Amino acid sequence: MKEMRMKASVGAVVAASLMLPFMGLVLPASAHHAFAAEYDAKKHVILKGTVTKMEWINPHAWIHIDVKKPDGSVEEWMIEFGTPNTLLRRGFTHDSLKPGTEITVDGYQAKDGALHANGRNVTLPDGKVLFAGSPVADAPYKDPGK
Amino acid sequence: MIHRSLATLGIPAMVIAVGSMSMLMSQASQRARNAATDPQTKAATPSVPPPGAAAAKTSGFRTPWGDPDLQGVWNDATSTPLQRPTGVASKDVLNDAEAEEFQDQLAGHLSRDRRDGGSEVDANRAYNEHWMDARRLKITGDHRTSLIVDPEDGKIPPLVPLSAERQKQSDERAAALARFNAGMPNTYFDFELPIRCITRTDMPPYMPTIYNNDFQIVQSPGYVVIAPEMIHSARIIPLDGRPHVGKNLHLWLGDSRGHWDGNTLVLETTNFRPDSDIFRAADPATFRLTERLTRMDARTINYEYTVEDPHTWTRPWTVRIPWTRIDPAEQMYEYACHEDNYDESHFLMGARERERRGEVVQPIPHLPSVQ
Amino acid sequence: MRNRLLTITSACVTMGIAFAALALVLAAGQQAAAPQQTASQFGESSSLHALDAGQFPPYKPARMPDGHPDLNGYWQALVSADWDLQDHEAQPGPKPEINGVYGAGPAGQSIVEGGEIPYRPDALAKKKTNFETGAMVDVSSDKTWHNLGDPELKCYMPGVPRVNYLPYPFRIVQSAGPSSPYMLISYEFASATRIIRMNSKAEAPIPSWMGWSRGRWDGDTLVVDVTGFREETWFDRAGDYHSDQLHVVERYTPVSPFHLMYEATIEDPKVFTRPWKIRFPLYRRMEQNFQLLEFKCEPFTEEMLYGRFVKRPNP
Repeated sequence: MKEMRMKASVGAVVAASLMLPFMGLVLPASAHHAFAAEYDAKKHVILKGTVTKMEWINPHAWIHIDVKKPDGSVEEWMIEFGTPNTLLRRGFTHDSLKPGTEITVDGYQAKDGALHANGRNVTLPDGKVLFAGSPVADAPYKDPGK
Repeated sequence: MIHRSLATLGIPAMVIAVGSMSMLMSQASQRARNAATDPQTKAATPSVPPPGAAAAKTSGFRTPWGDPDLQGVWNDATSTPLQRPTGVASKDVLNDAEAEEFQDQLAGHLSRDRRDGGSEVDANRAYNEHWMDARRLKITGDHRTSLIVDPEDGKIPPLVPLSAERQKQSDERAAALARFNAGMPNTYFDFELPIRCITRTDMPPYMPTIYNNDFQIVQSPGYVVIAPEMIHSARIIPLDGRPHVGKNLHLWLGDSRGHWDGNTLVLETTNFRPDSDIFRAADPATFRLTERLTRMDARTINYEYTVEDPHTWTRPWTVRIPWTRIDPAEQMYEYACHEDNYDESHFLMGARERERRGEVVQPIPHLPSVQ
Repeated sequence: MRNRLLTITSACVTMGIAFAALALVLAAGQQAAAPQQTASQFGESSSLHALDAGQFPPYKPARMPDGHPDLNGYWQALVSADWDLQDHEAQPGPKPEINGVYGAGPAGQSIVEGGEIPYRPDALAKKKTNFETGAMVDVSSDKTWHNLGDPELKCYMPGVPRVNYLPYPFRIVQSAGPSSPYMLISYEFASATRIIRMNSKAEAPIPSWMGWSRGRWDGDTLVVDVTGFREETWFDRAGDYHSDQLHVVERYTPVSPFHLMYEATIEDPKVFTRPWKIRFPLYRRMEQNFQLLEFKCEPFTEEMLYGRFVKRPNP
């Protein structure tokens, strides 16, 4: 009980003293890519589709999906992500997402109306967030252990 | 008489012979001294430690030829802000409880997994946190509240008013950025250097960013080479005291020279391109950059830089960022950029398509901030 | 007394001659045993023709503290293989009506062992198409983004082994000791960088433009095994190409203080009937205070690639 009270008071002191209005004071905005420049906040989309290809490329990885429309036609969408290098260091490989996998993309469509969206949140049918966990396969780099 | 002739002959012969031998012997040792195989370095042959090596203080990490050893793959990601946040003006270092709170608050603010704040900022968060560098949600191990260590208030010094010409350039860049933010760039010059895949984190001084905060250092006699992950370049730094390149040669990454100050590698970098977006819009003509790298222990390099530009800041300021060793468990990977830069054509094609449709689009000076 | 003088004098002369002879022998021996032989030695001896034959006399290189040859330095190829790996005559290059001699290329002899690249008959057509479309670009569709244009034209990273015979210098950075099981090669062209993982069994995680390099020493030769290539790189402007199955084994051997002999064995069963080899010297750049400058060529390609999407008239 004593610890909880202490923690609460430390927290209050810290919160009061730190007073974090972060705008402009955090890391300088290295404008690699402001996604809201390209994708339209007013065009929120939820796309259910089947993966046809994943491009493990820089500067941005892309997942290609076929989205079946209610009228039976198929739209080919490209979904934009981040750098694959981050995923590689966490143990994913370019075989980690197999063509044919069903995914649900929660994102924003490109301002020009092209069938591009950013992959704001992507889930698998079982609800797992794509690439959020650790991969099942071995890490792609092992210490050679000379 | 014969014996006198022989004597006349013999003694000079001996002198000549002995003289030749000693000349040959000294030539041989001269060759050995010149036996550095790389003519570009004045480093002694590796078996001779440089002066001062025996007096090395803190760091026992040495290359086989006696230089301090900075080698490895290093990561500089952190959530510690560049400038001290409001409200902690008198507190440059936090105690453990405060540091934990600080780190939690920063992590919550920075996380790309949050969906609050409206659709504009949600779209700008782009994708989820697992695409980001996990170390960017940790404050520095020394619990500082800012990366700036000088001036003492942890803030960038007051700015110097821009000259008319630089103000004009600044306005033009702001206008280009506003067009870009609206998704309506006119030309590829409206993009900043990272979008054009010319430079990214490899323009010194090095600052943490959202991902790929990795640097590989490889050393050889007379050189230190720093290879940042983005964009796949290598900064080859000679240590032999040669002058910088001539003043009419300019480089995107500047021209660097290094020397050892005890265990610290000191880098001076000049000759930045006058048309480049260098650090915080400083003036390439008067910008001065000094960086210091010191191996602290098996897993840490202390990276510090001091920047100075009388045309931009009223005084120099210094930043300190710890680098953490990540190899062999993690590695640096190729970061090709221009090769598959679909966005550069998407942005421009998209703008032309919207113009063709008659869309009237207002420039957007600032998009919602996300880090 | 006269006899003693005679004896002493004879002894002096004999010793003098002996010393002189010894000096001569030592001189000859030193030149033979010196770790670095100079060109003047070739000129003096009857092996003058060794220069014409492209042969190097046996050479013992200077070494790093770990005993391996020291390959550190700035190196550059002099062959015109980037125009064409095989025998080629001088050619005008793209758009001679604009570029004149500035765009033209010189003649050169094949650096391919045996002269010809052993294409599978069904793979030759693509080489022809490559050459015919090598100076064209079209990035209007992501699906066909890489279909047209020599990657070198577009300032894309040129892959291996092409990067080593581009007409630009590069630096081999070689460390020693257990703290750095890596070598690094930094190329002036497009600031391309290769990390060579020494004695590594790790596999390429994804394809890359410069490949995944694993190095080891075979005596005094650095052997680099390169896999995991992006299929889009070419071998030369003549359109010589490969598939995603490309496997390259390079050999860097110091043959003089100023030369490395470079060999590469190229294997790709999808495109070639058998492995084939290229071979050429790399020359040490000897200018005082030489260093790599930048050839960041992306800005030279933006108008070519993206100019058609730019707002016109340009405000």
